[in-house]
Amino acid sequence: MELYVAALGFGLISVSVIAIAAVGFTMQFGITNMINLAYGEVMIVCAYVAFYVNRAGVNVWAAMIAAALAGAVLSFLLNRFLYAPFQRKGTNLIGMVIISLAASLILANILLPIVGYDTSSYQVDQGPLLRWNGLVLTTAQIAIIVVAVLLMLAIHGLLRYTRLGKAMRATAANPILARNCGIPTQRVIDMVWLLTGALCGVAGVVAGMNSENFAVASGAAYLITIIAAAVLGGAGQPYGAMIGALIIGIVTELSAAAIAPEYKEVVAFTILVLVMVLRPQGLLAKRGALAAAG
Amino acid sequence: MDKQSPPADRPAPILRAEGITSGYGGVPVVRGVSISMGKGEIVAVIGPNGAGKSTLLKTLVGILRSSSGRILLGADDVTGHPPEDLAKRGVGYVPQVQDIFEPLSVRENLEMGGYLLKDSAIEGRIKEVCDVFPLLAPMMRRRADKLSGGERKMLAIGRVLMLDPRVLILDEPTANLAPILADAVLSEQVRRLADAGKAVLLVEQRARAAMQIADWTVVLVSGQTRLEGRPKDLLERSDFEALFLGAGPPVQED
Repeated sequence: MELYVAALGFGLISVSVIAIAAVGFTMQFGITNMINLAYGEVMIVCAYVAFYVNRAGVNVWAAMIAAALAGAVLSFLLNRFLYAPFQRKGTNLIGMVIISLAASLILANILLPIVGYDTSSYQVDQGPLLRWNGLVLTTAQIAIIVVAVLLMLAIHGLLRYTRLGKAMRATAANPILARNCGIPTQRVIDMVWLLTGALCGVAGVVAGMNSENFAVASGAAYLITIIAAAVLGGAGQPYGAMIGALIIGIVTELSAAAIAPEYKEVVAFTILVLVMVLRPQGLLAKRGALAAAG
Repeated sequence: MDKQSPPADRPAPILRAEGITSGYGGVPVVRGVSISMGKGEIVAVIGPNGAGKSTLLKTLVGILRSSSGRILLGADDVTGHPPEDLAKRGVGYVPQVQDIFEPLSVRENLEMGGYLLKDSAIEGRIKEVCDVFPLLAPMMRRRADKLSGGERKMLAIGRVLMLDPRVLILDEPTANLAPILADAVLSEQVRRLADAGKAVLLVEQRARAAMQIADWTVVLVSGQTRLEGRPKDLLERSDFEALFLGAGPPVQED
């Protein structure tokens, strides 16, 4: 039993990391219709931004803010100067996926000569261990969970209660009608990329903190889990991505305890395949992207 | 070309399009069409399927670009202006389909309709729109895609009224509505909006119903103005049926 409780603890941290990443990824798709395969690599670029800031003696939590800014700017530029021009030309969804794959490879190969092939890791003060009914977590791990919960609440508040968030949902649902309402959809989409880019940056750092180490190649592995969570919950649905992250994060860690750690991803992706067979639109999917909040 | 020159007793135009040619990149769908509407006037555009009625409307609201001709709003040339700018200038558009934000609630739809208003003004404006469509008031929290056809169209028109537009452009507001409801939308809602001073441009598949409430009718055939005039005068013409109404039963969609 203790093993499972401990696994649940690991699961909660995985859930936090995946949720932060998957919500950003799925919002990019839901609102701007872009399956951004460079997302994992942007995470890594941001992880390294934080790594150098951290190595210069700055606390990793402060470095996380630098990573968020880097993610916001990089994602914004990626859309403005690469994705948006192709989308304007009418490139289809598959074409855009290939372009984002190219962007991913370009980012990885720019990064490699700078950071090298070796793995890196952060200097993190894990803080005292906290125990609760067999659940053992470090203070830093709890902080990751708190960051994730706060970010999810912020996204919920944004989409549900602010004019900008509602305009994002309106743009996702019906971009032409949004323009007919006078909504500056171009600016709304810029804000989406800044915001999801910041999430991507934070995700890169917490993912790096949650694993022993990270390297340029980690981006691809992150991406697969992120896509799984996003698709599981219903592509383009922020709340779906949160649920997808919850399921994948918990199931992988519990199955690691129940079967063997080597099989944890097999179990997670088996569940994904089963959901895809039984409910191809994903768990929360509704006609159109970004359903009404709540 | 069988045209009548507009009589002098039409109101001064608020929106005026001259010689509009537009389409979707290939052969133009609309060719050299001129149309105008003034304060309190309902102009009905009728015509067979594929005549270019919806294309003309999309061009007038900035979704499509005209390859020639110009569009004047009051004294301003707004040719080629994007939809968001035309919305700001008082042109409201209700498309035939995809006329609401389906995943948003009724209230959120109205809020988005009033996106250009100040935050403090939105609540009051929603109340005013609910005075026009009292049925909307109790369903504010409903998801818009849960509405019936009639409720949905009310929301779509209510959404566009949020900005109190001078010009209202409606693409087949009665499509998908039961006949009795369709008549009510035209003779009550649309007529009332025009009587309140809005310039209304209406595309209708239900030609006779539209002509009953219209002040001016334009018959569009193959992307060109075939005929225009006062509905009463048009209906009295012996060749009118042959020119349009006799051209076979109207088919769904265009």
